[in-house]
Amino acid sequence: MELGPILSTLRRHKITAFLLVAEIALTCAIVCNAVFLISQRLERMDMPSGVAENQLVMVQVANIAPTEDAKARTAEDLAALRRIPGVKDAALVSQVPFTNSSSNTSIKLSLNQKLPTLNATQYMGENMIQTFGSQLVAGRDFRPDEYMDYDAVLKDLDLVRKQTSSVIITKALAERLWPGESALGKKLYFADVGVRVVGVVKDLVRPSLFLGDDAAQWSMMFPLRMNGNNANRFVLRVDPTQRHQVLEAAAKKLRELDPHRIILGKKTFDEIRSDFFRNDRAMAGTLVGVIIALLTVTALGIVGLASFWVAQRRRTIGVRRALGATQSNILRYFQTENFLLATIGIALGMALAWGINLFLMQHYELPRLPWIYLPVGAVALWLIGQLAVLGPALRASRVPPVVATRSV
Amino acid sequence: MFAYYLELAWRRCRQNVSMMLLVVLTMAIGIASCMTATTIFAALSGEPLPGISDHLYVVTMDSRTQGDADDEPYAKPQSLLNLRDAKALVDAHRADGQFAQAQSLAQVSTTDGKQSDRVVGIIGYGSLLTTLGVPFRYGRPWSEAEQAAHAPVVVIDAKLAERLFGTSNAVGRSVSMGTGTFRVIGVTAPWKSRTQFLGLTQNAGSPLGQDMRFFVPVGAALDNGVGPLNSGKCAKGAPVVNFQSTNVAQCRWIETWVSLRTPAHVTTYRDFLARYAQAQHQAGRYVHPPQAKLFVTQAWMDRLKAIPGDVGLNVMLAGGFLLLCMVNVAGLLAARFLRRQGHVAIRRALGASRRHVFMQHLVEAGVLGVAGGLLALPLTLLGLWVVRMQPVAYAEAARFSPGAFAVLAALSLLVGLVVGILPAWRVCRQPPALQIKVA
Repeated sequence: MELGPILSTLRRHKITAFLLVAEIALTCAIVCNAVFLISQRLERMDMPSGVAENQLVMVQVANIAPTEDAKARTAEDLAALRRIPGVKDAALVSQVPFTNSSSNTSIKLSLNQKLPTLNATQYMGENMIQTFGSQLVAGRDFRPDEYMDYDAVLKDLDLVRKQTSSVIITKALAERLWPGESALGKKLYFADVGVRVVGVVKDLVRPSLFLGDDAAQWSMMFPLRMNGNNANRFVLRVDPTQRHQVLEAAAKKLRELDPHRIILGKKTFDEIRSDFFRNDRAMAGTLVGVIIALLTVTALGIVGLASFWVAQRRRTIGVRRALGATQSNILRYFQTENFLLATIGIALGMALAWGINLFLMQHYELPRLPWIYLPVGAVALWLIGQLAVLGPALRASRVPPVVATRSV
Repeated sequence: MFAYYLELAWRRCRQNVSMMLLVVLTMAIGIASCMTATTIFAALSGEPLPGISDHLYVVTMDSRTQGDADDEPYAKPQSLLNLRDAKALVDAHRADGQFAQAQSLAQVSTTDGKQSDRVVGIIGYGSLLTTLGVPFRYGRPWSEAEQAAHAPVVVIDAKLAERLFGTSNAVGRSVSMGTGTFRVIGVTAPWKSRTQFLGLTQNAGSPLGQDMRFFVPVGAALDNGVGPLNSGKCAKGAPVVNFQSTNVAQCRWIETWVSLRTPAHVTTYRDFLARYAQAQHQAGRYVHPPQAKLFVTQAWMDRLKAIPGDVGLNVMLAGGFLLLCMVNVAGLLAARFLRRQGHVAIRRALGASRRHVFMQHLVEAGVLGVAGGLLALPLTLLGLWVVRMQPVAYAEAARFSPGAFAVLAALSLLVGLVVGILPAWRVCRQPPALQIKVA
């Protein structure tokens, strides 16, 4: 197929050709960036929590007034929860992943260090690793004799100072604090209290990502026993098929045990994750909608312009046919023309995509657009262009040679 | 002449209905998506309390005392203060209006316990209600004397009053909150700021203001077991992070806001604040250099990223989409206009000037733009409805306003004209003679 006739025709339709190229360039640039944004959101929504998600449910309560014998009452609560059919384990914990409410502290690697190394979150609660279903990758879980009452420790920090307490940290935190070394047995400090690392879990995400996604896995677990006065989240590990029934039963049981208690919320972990990432999901949905709309509009634009051109050139096509051009010659002509315009548009679009990405990197803390998105966007637009032009091009190819003999 | 152009435009539209529909529909969805995104953006930007928040300033400083649990470097300005500092600043009366505030969540009941509701309100100190401009239906705000005496008084909003007492005039009645009984001294109209700006550090992720159902002076609140939602940063060894704790003597949990109406007042207050903070540091109370600073509402909200970045991103996406739709329509119009070159040539030969031809085509484009705008109205409503169905924090901001309607009308006309300019210019530059020959 020689390009000569196509180019000379386009030269006579500069403005329409220019607008079509601009349209393809814009679509290419926006679609590349939108797809990239979607992939970023999906990746974020997939962030590991480090807990056995499909088996966990949470009931959050609030006590109207502090109870006297909170420790005994909490033990009763937990025992009653464990008796509910379908419950494998139960714990009262200070915080739960992805619930946006967290207690955090800055830690140091030695007592005389002036500035803290980083800020990590503190998970507390008896039997937490078991209940969360966290995976230990080194060391051990807390021994029963290591647990202390959180109340008592608060009143007298010397309890922790006297016998160096244990802590379990995540792999990400261990690697950040002691790169390339085993964390087991190492000590870390907050304020003037030191604790020793006895175990490392694979993951345990923070309840809130206020320090950014890079710090998401900086978590520590402490052998501290919570009670109804200082913690309000009951976590149950249950049979995945009975989650909803167990959740109802647990909330009912907790209300029964203490009528003065208010149930602030009850959720499966799947719901907790889904709520936490709802903005990301909404944004990804919007972006998918935008991509579909962009491609549809572009495709319709191509169909519209091509139809006009075909109608306008009916006589020319008839003459070409009369002079011996085959139907497929005419078809190829329009397809090649579209391919040519699409290619120019895509080339411009890639440069524009790069520019938009630079802008987003500055304003929205996005990473650089991986180059692989560009050829994918290019192929998508070539395909759309060819599909869109097919109808008008077929119509053109069916123009009979006799048209040449008629006046318009 | 204009009427004649309109008639020409109408005739042409009828000649090629499918093309006209494509043009109008493309413009309509472009305009509708842009309107949807900007409506949300407009609802979330701008002053949270128009006319008031633009001269409200939040006090920030490093007020950590010996034994504060937070030992990190002072990287960000901190607005949470100890109650003692907040009171001292408010009691100094150096600004045009000043108050300290923290949000609270409380179970408010009638004294017989029959009616009850769990609602969000404000624990405050100083001229909270007058400085924020909360409108009163009945009664009055608390007085300095009541505040100093820890008198158990409360101001509630009309909705809560109706919920509890069946009437909005609840002045003189009593409610139970926490462990105490409070006398209602005032009833406000339901009140909320457009966007959240008070207590931002403890309210991340909820950009829209929410109704404040009660206002209670801090002394009486803490005496009667009504504590802040979040006890902030407390001293080491103090009972920590307890939901609704009233044990906050050793915590930094309350924000101080001042109203400063002129730049001169701002300067004077800044000096006063610096002197106060420096004096506390020199006396040994504040461990670190205090770095006291004032932030006006908008600057403070920007600093804490109170408005989610996704909202801005959506506006850019919608803008990009509208631009694409416009390029698309311009292309279609160009093809459409140029196809009628013969007609144009005849009009030119009969004496129409280039300007007339240009105007005629521009009117046609404008008509299509307005048609697109009309169709965009239901599409915008649909778009906003879809956003409201989304479980995002700003969903409630997606409401159509009369102002937005005016913007939409102007936008659609503008879009029609802008996309028409290039094709109309192209078509009016045709020399008449050549085209007649071809035709």
